[in-house]
Amino acid sequence: MTLFIRPLREKDLDDLHAMARSAGKGLTTLPADRALLADKIRRTREAFDQQSAPEAGLYLFALEDSRRGRCVGVSGIEARVGRDDVFWNYRLSTTVNASRKLGVHVRTPTLHLTNDMTDATEIGSLYLDERYRQDGNGLLLSLSRFLYLQEFPGHFSDKVFAEMRGVSDKAGYSPFWEALGRRFFDMEFSEADYLSGLGRKSFIAELMPKFPIYLFMLSEAAQAAVAQVHDNTAPALRMLEAEGFNFNGLVDIFDGGPLVEAFIHNIRTARDSLTRPVSISAEAMDSTVPPAKRLMVANGAFRDFRVTTLPAHCVGPESVTVPVELAEILLVKSGDRVRLAPLKRGG
Amino acid sequence: MWILRPAKPLDLADIESLASRLNVQAPRLPETTDRFLFVLEDTGHGRIRGLAGIDASAGHGQPFYNYRRDALIHACHDLGVSRRIDVLYPSHALTGQSLLCSLLIEPELRQSHALALLSRARLLFIAQHREQFADEVVVELKGLQTETGEVPFWDSLGRHFFHMDFEAADRYSSELSKTFIAELMPPNPIYVTLLTDSAQAAIGVSHPLAVKSRDLLHREGFRESRYIDIFDGGPVLRAQIDRLETVVSGLTLVFRPGESAHGLLYLVASARDDDFRCVLSPLIEGLDGAAVIPAEMASALGICAGDRVQVAAL
Repeated sequence: MTLFIRPLREKDLDDLHAMARSAGKGLTTLPADRALLADKIRRTREAFDQQSAPEAGLYLFALEDSRRGRCVGVSGIEARVGRDDVFWNYRLSTTVNASRKLGVHVRTPTLHLTNDMTDATEIGSLYLDERYRQDGNGLLLSLSRFLYLQEFPGHFSDKVFAEMRGVSDKAGYSPFWEALGRRFFDMEFSEADYLSGLGRKSFIAELMPKFPIYLFMLSEAAQAAVAQVHDNTAPALRMLEAEGFNFNGLVDIFDGGPLVEAFIHNIRTARDSLTRPVSISAEAMDSTVPPAKRLMVANGAFRDFRVTTLPAHCVGPESVTVPVELAEILLVKSGDRVRLAPLKRGG
Repeated sequence: MWILRPAKPLDLADIESLASRLNVQAPRLPETTDRFLFVLEDTGHGRIRGLAGIDASAGHGQPFYNYRRDALIHACHDLGVSRRIDVLYPSHALTGQSLLCSLLIEPELRQSHALALLSRARLLFIAQHREQFADEVVVELKGLQTETGEVPFWDSLGRHFFHMDFEAADRYSSELSKTFIAELMPPNPIYVTLLTDSAQAAIGVSHPLAVKSRDLLHREGFRESRYIDIFDGGPVLRAQIDRLETVVSGLTLVFRPGESAHGLLYLVASARDDDFRCVLSPLIEGLDGAAVIPAEMASALGICAGDRVQVAAL
């Protein structure tokens, strides 16, 4: 069995719909709505076929299990946000009231509504079938995007960010939403979240307060939730932090979850990647090598991008030895250059 | 007998003692010609038992701060949602209007005619010196305060920017100027829905102790406005000076001595530029435009037969 990354295609719709259904509330950008998902796949097709407007486009990747021929995971890149609609965030900034005369120097954390991420590249829409959450598959699904960004910088912004899911409880109660969004229109957080997944977030944003919000005016639970992630998202946050992403001072307008960002040239997977020409070997690959001793290997194709993993010992100073069955998956022949990067660190 | 007259430096100790009995900050004596402070003197005791002030120009050339209550409609056609959002906007709109201020009176006099004398004599003064004042006169009424001294509006808003209680901010306001303190407040509008419930309930609501005073102002023609105090959320009442009851119905008559103890009670003010005085006196209006008032009232006003007086019915 080999798992590999490739562009999401029309044939993946059933698998994608099943994953969206089981993901439930955790996957805002992929609601379990067949028509909407089909539209996302169509947009993805246009992007990989370079039929999208220049520099714009949605790139969704599938993780395929080669033995079953099924899509078992999805991840995505939105080349530029805030082009068709308006991309809203709150910026967590500081207001200082000071007077020497009064001996007053008070800092007030303040939320300012911004469109600061307009034109930046967003990564998101990450979901992995529960049965495959092992052997570094999640890392492959997530990190392979950085190899794509590194390979095709002209199509993306230098600045890459991810919106991390904010704090909410099992019932879907979000303290930040209750203290802020809820006060401005009667809607459950889950409904607002669902609408935003349907691409109607900017409409909802029109109902949100535009003037600065002083944090002390929110409930204590809401204040505590600002820029904090949901427990389920903590591992994803740690992974992105290890890649060089940092909280950029912006939070989601609904749940207060943080945005983390990095510049492509500083993302570790992209920065530490290197290229080698392929030397094809007839020997079967040792599939027992643990994730820490495997490397991601990506072809350089824009339209038929493929990424999989192979043992680190396959990489030599002048070339990389690729077993023939992997070469078929990667759509490479002898002498083609591939991009290599570690799958797991510190292992 | 009650006499209302301008405060003098010699009154300072009395003013401070009155303010400390009422547990408030004593106003300073006017240092400029556009501020006026009057004292209510009890001639029986020779004591000062009330104070009232006028600022000809609110802010004195500095911005005069209020919040203006206003509304925004947050609407989304696509979602079929429309909602009214109440917002408090910082405003300087009332800067330069005339301001009635510094009304202090001993609690036991609050139910007496002395309050009307104290409050309304100012309007006779304004009528006499009409050109020194603006088109409009405004009054900030004291806002809600709990029995334990907490000010819910301040506690929900201002307090967080100063880390001090209302009393301390109020003290700085009177020592340094209200504008100085107000300028430390952030300049952004405030969403009412994000204030605490008790702060929302305090918006535009006057302190129970201000009820009598508010009723008097209502009878004069003052009305609640969209403006509130930025510190305690108390209401700001407004009126056009030329439409005030005391100004409209006030008459200028000529004093004639006589026995008139059974006449109706009037506010009677000397119409002398140098020494404004006002008393509550029984008065009979003669057919010839004469005001017949008792001799002791005339001597308290410092007027002689033939002098003009300004009068308004109580």
